[in-house]
Amino acid sequence: MKMIAMDGSNISFFKEGLRLDGRRADEFRPLKIEVGVLARADGSCYVEMGGNKVIAAVYGPREVHPRHLQEATRAIVRYRYNMASFSVEERKRPGPDRRSYELSKVSREALEPVIFTSYYPRSVIDVFVEVLQADAGTRTAGINAASVALADAGIPMKSMISACAAGKVADTIVLDPMKEEDNFGQADMPIAMTPTGQITLLQMDGHLTKDEFHQAMELAIKGCRDIYEIQRKSLIEKYNQLGSELAVVQEAEVL
Amino acid sequence: MTNVIAEIKKDYLYNLFLKGERADGRAFDQYREFSVERNLISKAEGSALVKLGSSQVLVGVKMQPGEPFPDTPNRGVIITNAELVPLASPVFEPGPPNETGIELARLVDRGVRESKAIDLEALCITPGKQVWIIFIDVHILDDCGNILDAASIGAIAALLTTKVPASKFGLGEDYPLPVKDIPIATTAIEFGDVIMFDPDSDEESIANTKLTVLSTADGSICGMQKSGTGVLRQEQIYRIVDIACEKAKEIREKFLEE
Amino acid sequence: MKDQGLDRMDRKVVIPGDLLSEEAKRSGEGTFVKDGKVYSLLYGLANCRDRINVIPLAGKYVPAPGDNVIGVVKDITFSNWIIDINSPYDGLLHISEFPKRIDADEMSKYLSLGSSTMIRVKDVDSTMKVELTLNDRKLGLLKTGRIIEINHTRVPRLIGKGGSMISMLKKELNCNIFVGQNGRIWINGGAEDMDLALKTILLIEKEAHTSGLTDRIVDFLKKEKGAGN
Repeated sequence: MKMIAMDGSNISFFKEGLRLDGRRADEFRPLKIEVGVLARADGSCYVEMGGNKVIAAVYGPREVHPRHLQEATRAIVRYRYNMASFSVEERKRPGPDRRSYELSKVSREALEPVIFTSYYPRSVIDVFVEVLQADAGTRTAGINAASVALADAGIPMKSMISACAAGKVADTIVLDPMKEEDNFGQADMPIAMTPTGQITLLQMDGHLTKDEFHQAMELAIKGCRDIYEIQRKSLIEKYNQLGSELAVVQEAEVL
Repeated sequence: MTNVIAEIKKDYLYNLFLKGERADGRAFDQYREFSVERNLISKAEGSALVKLGSSQVLVGVKMQPGEPFPDTPNRGVIITNAELVPLASPVFEPGPPNETGIELARLVDRGVRESKAIDLEALCITPGKQVWIIFIDVHILDDCGNILDAASIGAIAALLTTKVPASKFGLGEDYPLPVKDIPIATTAIEFGDVIMFDPDSDEESIANTKLTVLSTADGSICGMQKSGTGVLRQEQIYRIVDIACEKAKEIREKFLEE
Repeated sequence: MKDQGLDRMDRKVVIPGDLLSEEAKRSGEGTFVKDGKVYSLLYGLANCRDRINVIPLAGKYVPAPGDNVIGVVKDITFSNWIIDINSPYDGLLHISEFPKRIDADEMSKYLSLGSSTMIRVKDVDSTMKVELTLNDRKLGLLKTGRIIEINHTRVPRLIGKGGSMISMLKKELNCNIFVGQNGRIWINGGAEDMDLALKTILLIEKEAHTSGLTDRIVDFLKKEKGAGN
């Protein structure tokens, strides 16, 4: 089978300071968040970030199966990242591959630090993320959706987690790389953090000087902060939709 | 993981059935509200999201050239798979499809294949060497009952929106996939000798028997499947088949309207 | 002071990690204290009185001793019935906590798989082992009627202050109603009365967090019963 070869060398990533999709270097793609989109799950969230379409569901705390996995003093957290066969350009065989195992692990480790697992000994909090359409940045989109789904499920947490990636393309540090920038760029660095700047996910591949790394961190951190505001807004708005006209609602202040 | 159903719930539902009622007020042959959203996955060649009551099923169609099967060198290939992902239900477990998932995929496939909705010979590119392979991937998102019918509607809806990606492979211009029929699955359950269509999760969990009928646009039957450990009498089966074809016709009409 | 905004409004939607107060002593349910400040643990409604409590919108029922709940028998072992109480934790009803003295091989005769019971939580230990009891006249097997499930966080509202809401409902709906702390509710009465009871309870669940609910429910019932005549 021969596909038309894609060669990044023909692409000019910047035109008059704007990227291929018209963004500036420090902008992330349009982000849409819908809370509570599934009936069976205890909590759920649908996220569109650029061309990414992911849906996260939380079940739990619930009984652990198989029993031997349970822990006497706290809930265990499981995270399963999975891509639908039709989510990528070339149809993917169903089922986990090595990449999805790694993504599941680091994503779980991004969320677990803020979950109060000691409240629910001998139970499991299951997080499932399905990528319905992939467009570079599925893991950060998944973590953003999972964080909202956890709140929607009533899981006690120290704070939300927000995720965003920075990259380097044509020697420029950019926020939230899109597909072409990810494929032909020089570095990709996804991070996740709490609103107060505690980093819970950090991965990087490519080449960055120390200076570039600092720039990329600053950019990604700012991206996460902005994404946090959108996550917050979506949760508050869902509540407003639920209540009748008589509900008294006002956003609380955040440190 | 199976959940024990409270006897009190079974009794309550059964008493309703005896009075000719269902818990949500529907008639025995009435389908829940359904909607079909098309082309929402741009990376796929065709896609459809079906909402049937609260059940949600997403079907994606991908196409790529490949080798034909040795015994059918001039015919395209259809491969249908269903993922009952754990996100969709507290009783779905991660892992390869179990017998329920495999049965669902094979039934959706049966509808498409036996109705000859897709002309497999027209999918031949170079006889004996290259044919189009169509992947129909069913992704269950929310199981609130009767995901099979939702999946079958989703599959044909996705196929109807599919564009053959010829240009991507240097095989000419893209063109809409020719679809010659609209096979639809309609499923009924039996409980305590009462028959009803489009079961929701509660009804499904107490049902003894299920009968699925796959029918084509002209009202012929192109597939059937009885599942469950109960039994059906001949006249029950005839009655189910009659109503099933009627319901399929209504659903098809709603399609062409949309 | 940053938390003065909260005192002005009675209730506020908050998400996990929201700062609620700079006074640690005001920490109530659904909050945690860090560095002397009070933060929300949950996505819910912050109720600001002397203590700040956050009432969750969702979440699982965790059994506490003394709770009356509705449980469904899911398994029977040598000397225990294992009871699903709509929680991450199953309850154990030991044969000695059955109100009648029975033999181990008679267990399924009295409470079979799928039986529903009004049952009480006797004890919960630190590993979340939940012991149940039926030793009380007010508890027992549920044979007829309906069981509906609402989110357990709405149960206090359904019961009302000093039981005001639930007594009003029992009277107006002409139904037997037993509210389990685990969000399961048993109702028994005529078919139409039970339908109205279901509608009413679901309405209360939906609007549990709003004010003036009791009056609205009284009006709703008046209208529905008037329409029925």
